[in-house]
Amino acid sequence: MSDTNPLERYSRQMRFPGLGKSGQEKLLASRVTLCGCGALGTVVANILVRAGVGFVRIIDRDFVEPSNLQRQVLFDEADVTNNLPKAEAAATKLRQINSSVKIEPIVADINRTNLEDFCKDADLILDGSDNFEVRYLINDVAIKHGKPWVYGGAVGSQGMSMTIIPGETPCLRCVFEAAPAPGETGTCETAGVLSPAVNIVASYQATEAIKILSGNTAVINRELIIIDVWENSNRRVKVAPLAGRKGECPCCAKRNFEWLDGAHGTQTTSLCGRNAVQVSHRVRGKLDFAYLAGVLKQSGTVTYNKFLLKFQLIENGDPYEFTVFEDGRAIIKGTSEPDKARTLYAKYVGH
Amino acid sequence: MAIKIQIPTPMREQAGGKSEVEVSGGTVKAALDDLLRQYPAIGPKLFDNGKLRPYVNVFVNDEDIRYLDEMDTKITDGVIVALIPAVAGG
Repeated sequence: MSDTNPLERYSRQMRFPGLGKSGQEKLLASRVTLCGCGALGTVVANILVRAGVGFVRIIDRDFVEPSNLQRQVLFDEADVTNNLPKAEAAATKLRQINSSVKIEPIVADINRTNLEDFCKDADLILDGSDNFEVRYLINDVAIKHGKPWVYGGAVGSQGMSMTIIPGETPCLRCVFEAAPAPGETGTCETAGVLSPAVNIVASYQATEAIKILSGNTAVINRELIIIDVWENSNRRVKVAPLAGRKGECPCCAKRNFEWLDGAHGTQTTSLCGRNAVQVSHRVRGKLDFAYLAGVLKQSGTVTYNKFLLKFQLIENGDPYEFTVFEDGRAIIKGTSEPDKARTLYAKYVGH
Repeated sequence: MAIKIQIPTPMREQAGGKSEVEVSGGTVKAALDDLLRQYPAIGPKLFDNGKLRPYVNVFVNDEDIRYLDEMDTKITDGVIVALIPAVAGG
């Protein structure tokens, strides 16, 4: 742009008294790490890059697919045709939107070995992920390093968001002590998702980011926001008294970073020569095959017995076969790539 | 006027498709017992070995029972009990 005044593009938000020129300058000097660039992530990135956040690192392991276009606002048909990774496709769009923002796309699977590195120079971590494994990892990293983060989740017509300021507000584990076992809550693949629900949740997240980065922490949301765009409900429940949960929160009170230390979570092993990957997921108790089968039959063919569940589906023309065991472990045939297998597991078995 | 329990979407199939169920009982525990009496299938979605699943939170008029009296939190007619599981997707 040939603007003589580089701040002119931000004039409307600087005119907003809560932000002003000093708030804008803080945004321009700030750095965020965005974990996941799907439905939530694209909306968050779009808002923050337009708002002039100085540096945005975007981590995502996935590629753009036709079924993303209904809600993932930064992608288009050409990205599908060109088989582009989401992080790269998003970076290209975002640079066209605001060339003064530094965008760092990273095509990687977020896990306990890399997330601290991705977050160490960030002022804020944003949740654009679709699973609780990543969210509990973010929570561990944020609490360990004293960085704020904003949780968002959406499925069906519902969504929720919560802002975590270490040492001030409850952390994710204070409020949701453990992740739902695979198959026990819906995912966007099994339960569907309405784009407006995701857009609203991501807009709350982006608003919280602007408040935090501009130094307006006094006005952050300290409750759990829960919306349902189909049932017309919008509620806020009080979570502040749960902070540290009387010294018993394993993460923020006891500082046991169980997800970062590998006590929970998923491990993958590529099964040599079989075009299959084993996804080992530690669950509490046993999977309920009858329930899981009921969910999965909407997406493919399911059979199960006492010991294992078989699920066959075709995704973008490629056939996959899941063999799921009672302990949460699965062998996914049709790919030899661990990242692809983890993505398929998170999509269909869920987390 | 009874106590109303709000049923989240992932549990409605087990509650006859209802988004809200009327129950009676003087505590959260009694109210949930009554819910399970009416809709036994919802039991495994809410409890694991008699303990509330750790990703389902119970709110009484928007207050989390974990800082009230947990399952012994006293409730009266007209109160709304909301069952709120964590939302995963995104």
